[in-house]
Amino acid sequence: MKRYDVIVIGGGHNGLVCAAYLARAGKRVLVLERRERVGGAAVSEEVFPGFRFSVFSYVVSLLRPEIIRELDLPRHGLHILPLESTLTPLPNGDYLAQWNDHDRNRRELARHSLRDAEAYDEFGLLLHQMARVIQPILRMAPPDPASLRPRELLELVRLGRYFEHIGEKRFNALWKLLTMSSADYLDEWFETEALKATKAASGIIGTLLGPRSPGTAYVLLHHYMGELDGVFRAWGFAKGGNGSVSAAIAAAATSFGAEIRASCPVMNVVVQDGKARGVVLEGGEEISANGVVSGADPRRTFLGLVGEKHLPEAFVQSIRRFKFRGASAKVNLALGELPNFTCLPGRGAHLRGAVSVSPSVAYLERAYDEGKYGEFSRRPYMDIVIPSMLDPAMAPPGKHVMSIFVQYAPYQQRGGWTDERREALGDAVVDALSEYAPNLKSAILHRQVITPADIERVVGLSEGNIFQGELSLQQMFFLRPAPAWARYRTPIEGLWQCGAGTHPGGGVMGASGRNAAFELLRERR
Amino acid sequence: MSDRAIVIGAGVDALVAAHLLKRAGRDVIFIEEKNTEDDGGWVPPQIARELGLELHIKTHDPWAVVPLPQGGTLELWHDMGRTVEALRRLSPRDAASWPQFCARTAAIARLFEQLYGAAPVNPLNVQLAFRVRRLGRQAMEDLMRLLPMSVAELLDDWFECDALKGALAAMGIVHLQQGPRSAGTAFRLLHHHVGSPQGVFRPARSNLGAALRARPGIDIRAGAARRIVVRDGRVSGVALASGEELAAPLVVSGTDPRRTLLELVEPGWLEPEFARALGHVRRRGVVARVSFKVAPCARVVIAPSLDYLERAYDASKYGRVSVEPYIEVISRENAVEAHFQYAPYRRADGAWDSDRRSELGELTRRLLSPHVGGIADARVDVQTPPDLELAAGWPEGQAYHAELALDQALWMRPLPELASYRTPIEGLWLCGPGTHPGGGVAGASGRNCAREILRSPARRAG
Amino acid sequence: MLKTTPFHERTVALCVSHAWRRWAGYLVASSYELSHEREYHAIRAAAALFDVSPLYKYMIRGRDAARLLDRVVTRDVMRAQVGQVLYTPWCDAAGKVLDDGTVARLDETVFRMTAAEPNLRWLEANALGLQVSIEDASESMAALSLQGPNSRAILQAMGDLPALKYFRLAETRLRGIPVSVSRTGYTGDLGYEIWVPAGEALALWDRLIEAGTPYGLQPAGMLALDVARIEAGLMLIDVDYVPARKALIESQTSSPYELDLGWTVNLEKERFVGKRALAAEKERGPQWQFVGIEVGWEDLERLYAEVGLATQLPQQAWRMSVPIYSGAEQKGYATSGGWSPLLKRYIALAHLRAPWARPGTPLDMEITVEHRRRRAAARVVRKPFFDPERKRA
Repeated sequence: MKRYDVIVIGGGHNGLVCAAYLARAGKRVLVLERRERVGGAAVSEEVFPGFRFSVFSYVVSLLRPEIIRELDLPRHGLHILPLESTLTPLPNGDYLAQWNDHDRNRRELARHSLRDAEAYDEFGLLLHQMARVIQPILRMAPPDPASLRPRELLELVRLGRYFEHIGEKRFNALWKLLTMSSADYLDEWFETEALKATKAASGIIGTLLGPRSPGTAYVLLHHYMGELDGVFRAWGFAKGGNGSVSAAIAAAATSFGAEIRASCPVMNVVVQDGKARGVVLEGGEEISANGVVSGADPRRTFLGLVGEKHLPEAFVQSIRRFKFRGASAKVNLALGELPNFTCLPGRGAHLRGAVSVSPSVAYLERAYDEGKYGEFSRRPYMDIVIPSMLDPAMAPPGKHVMSIFVQYAPYQQRGGWTDERREALGDAVVDALSEYAPNLKSAILHRQVITPADIERVVGLSEGNIFQGELSLQQMFFLRPAPAWARYRTPIEGLWQCGAGTHPGGGVMGASGRNAAFELLRERR
Repeated sequence: MSDRAIVIGAGVDALVAAHLLKRAGRDVIFIEEKNTEDDGGWVPPQIARELGLELHIKTHDPWAVVPLPQGGTLELWHDMGRTVEALRRLSPRDAASWPQFCARTAAIARLFEQLYGAAPVNPLNVQLAFRVRRLGRQAMEDLMRLLPMSVAELLDDWFECDALKGALAAMGIVHLQQGPRSAGTAFRLLHHHVGSPQGVFRPARSNLGAALRARPGIDIRAGAARRIVVRDGRVSGVALASGEELAAPLVVSGTDPRRTLLELVEPGWLEPEFARALGHVRRRGVVARVSFKVAPCARVVIAPSLDYLERAYDASKYGRVSVEPYIEVISRENAVEAHFQYAPYRRADGAWDSDRRSELGELTRRLLSPHVGGIADARVDVQTPPDLELAAGWPEGQAYHAELALDQALWMRPLPELASYRTPIEGLWLCGPGTHPGGGVAGASGRNCAREILRSPARRAG
Repeated sequence: MLKTTPFHERTVALCVSHAWRRWAGYLVASSYELSHEREYHAIRAAAALFDVSPLYKYMIRGRDAARLLDRVVTRDVMRAQVGQVLYTPWCDAAGKVLDDGTVARLDETVFRMTAAEPNLRWLEANALGLQVSIEDASESMAALSLQGPNSRAILQAMGDLPALKYFRLAETRLRGIPVSVSRTGYTGDLGYEIWVPAGEALALWDRLIEAGTPYGLQPAGMLALDVARIEAGLMLIDVDYVPARKALIESQTSSPYELDLGWTVNLEKERFVGKRALAAEKERGPQWQFVGIEVGWEDLERLYAEVGLATQLPQQAWRMSVPIYSGAEQKGYATSGGWSPLLKRYIALAHLRAPWARPGTPLDMEITVEHRRRRAAARVVRKPFFDPERKRA
């Protein structure tokens, strides 16, 4: 029987990234994917004949440029097409557009508020600087602040020095971002409701929190993190859908010698004498390896694949209280014609960008109010792209695909998610969007509605949380997923974690997979 | 003249600062703008020691009486055993968890007590890092995990009994326009735990204000400041509303930071970016005070569950008064005062008027009548946030002068540039609930401020 | 998608080169003709007409208008006379330049401020507690710059032009159109700037062209202006300095002293934004200076001759960062430069470390000769390079 150095459980993008780096370093690596295709939540599927969708995740925003570079992903087929704009249609028939072109953007903002047009640049500069502060932290294996190990102590000192180096002023600015609500934070800068709401919306994505919830301002940085990597044009749409991101990483991994097996669900991790020895597949086959890396989320990994009996009680408790609370749904539409927005009729550049249904902070907050008590929002926040406008191969000629990210549709639904409820959500989404694009209903040829329960069932993400666990402050950095175990290691020797449930978290970043690979390689050298 | 110090404002912090400056040999004039009856909060023991005060601490036992939806009450006592007993009837699991929860939270509160006794330090401070590490792994993890958490999450981790969670969560949101699901509210629970015995989650009250007022030595004058006079970048005195002008090289303001620097000081003296930041300090009042002329009673807490509190908060986000508010009863000499939250300073439907005021009073009466004897036809007096702004000088009705949220707490309170009580105007200092450690702790900021003043390098000739 | 100025209808018809560029979100002509050469010479030999409408313009009115501006800018606005125009930079709290422009006192309580960048938020932030109204007149007001030796004669032919001293202004009518005329400009020559409501813009243009044509008036674009402003030693925002608000790192910012604008900083004023930092800097002495540089012809000729070429000169004024050395070490960088067709000299504007900024200091400037980096001898010279008497007379 073939012996592997490392088995990676789960062929999501982080698992694939981790496998690629390990294979590149000469390890014999086997990736085991439960589904018939790799990619996890980053997959493209022909859901309806001729219509291809990025079924779950749908834009590339945070994929770490060092991964693109080091794994040479463009050579393996990755092509990121830029999204040019964000259009926010307004109930009064007007709109707010944000354009990539600075002059065009300023002109449009000035139409709503001269002050906001001015503040926009200053705001951008501050967030750019904050993103620069955060960037090195993304690449870090978080040291345990209570550790006594010399290496971690050294890293702690280094981290302390780093914050000293960035200075009090920037540290305080970062603290504000980490602790404020995006609504309060944006109130300090802007007066245009739609601008505040559209910016705030990026702070609530994937999380059961509203724009007025403290802690949401931090995610405003994410957009600017993408911009830092300027030449990479990190904010965009992957040609062929997000499945081609996974495909490119998988191709890179294979080119380094990694083996990938699809349709191979793992039943459990084999633990002997407190050490991980391999895995057992659901079919009964046992594969042994010197090390196992799990790309599954912490709950699935530890409470499912490993089992509580092998783990210390305090750790189990930490994993149990790790919050998932998926809040996002997805509606994928096959369209016979383009949506015609009342505020900006016809086929314009705005259809090549994102459309954000976020007319005001109160609109988003009301949507959250429904969500937090276990209902889906009747008038939800929606982030819409029309991939076929960027990549015509996504739909038959003249026809289109539309991807609608929807919030809030909490996993914990009063009475649970049923087929009726799923369709009711789909109806609510189409109704709410039709208010801005009245031809939408008649343009729909097919509709796919994906609830958090579906995401959990199909992709295996607990409670359908797209980040493998909420990105709240108490679940970040050295607390992700559990204190003392944020360095991709686990209480089981030889078992590692590389999913978004570890630092720095979700968003198709790949950083967790890369960091985990480096930690593992450092340990084994 | 060069030894004169003028202290303006209301409240115990300003009084503490005044007396400590007097003790250090300054000639102190205290301009008392409002005579507020503010007796809540832990008093750091150093204050009584340094000023030779005899303080009487008043507490309630049980510290909370929570009416249960099924009838009866949950009583939470100083005595750990009694509380455990009371909890056991509702949830044996919670009863079992209670002692450990109390020990873990008390450990963090002890750290806060130390931090609150001095000017705040930035977390980049190495000594602070060592102090935190000395807490040991468990407390350190708790601290880092709890600070940014929502009080709802914290309590859900530990307990299942709604009434217990509601009573505790109330301390996480008091005087805050946030709900129990808002991040940072666990910090507030711990903040208000400071100085209390293990297992008691309501701050004590004391006679600090009365004792300070009775203490001789400073010249207390009723009045109001109209302008803090600045010459050449440094303070030169205070002009009073009466027209009188008092010269002094040192002025301490216990009134809220925004008013002090943006209204009392001519704003041209501040750098515009700083003035803008100061203008952004949040101070949203959400509390109405409702007094009934009845005999003192138990500390009734109407906060039956986390969701109840969260829904009460929801209303305030849209400028509405909670239909089912969080109410807590505090007994005074010959009246009972209800803390009513949320009643927003700015109503979406127009200004507060006498009809709306009495509507709020009647709602309170109705909700409390099953629990407070004699309330049905007692005389009621309602103070809405705008009333409190006028009567107590609380900006927008916010008792803490600046919202005590994580981004406006500790070394960020009310702004990092002001956290050491010093202002950009030489000779002008701040104290009061708007500065570290903030409302709910009595006298600490006054003492910290006076110490910073006395430690600061010798002043230039005034 | 880009804005067009109130003169666009006329300028678009004239712009046979189709060479446009962006300026503050507006479309403006780089040159109207295929080459900017004639447009440049019109500035120095006859008269040139520039559309400068993209400038940001603010009307500041009210009891405290002077106090507001006095607090914002480095010069003394309180003592400015009615009808006076001040050129001035303004700074942030750290004493770093945010922008530069003009402040014109139209009346005791009315001012017009021009700026290169939007400044509404900044003015409002500074207006806290003051009785003043700030109106952004950037779009409602059009502006033309009439520059060159014949500019006075053209205006006199159009109406009753009062005798205007350098940096003075007057309200008048030009062929019946009410305008505000200031004796200011960006060419270092005799010249005027004319401010007019946007609705009257086209009429004013037509009448100016009509009156100016006999005097050789030529509409001119940004390329010609760029040469003239370098000859005049006038710096350009975003090119010669990074405004503090856009600086990504502190070292990109500049103080007025470092930009040779120490003369505009009035430390006698009780307070203005950045005073404390600027007073300290003055005491220390600035680290950098902004100077004129002249590249030696002989050396230039030698470098080209070495590779067998005749001396090649830049066809247009350039805008980039060019290293300047003293011996082996880099001591500064030039930010704009070019060949002066009038002076027949290769000139540049440069930032130099203070000890190397004295006039006459010998330096080397990097140039690329036939794909290779070389160093040409240069020396520090006094600005402006060109300073005709008619500018002030």
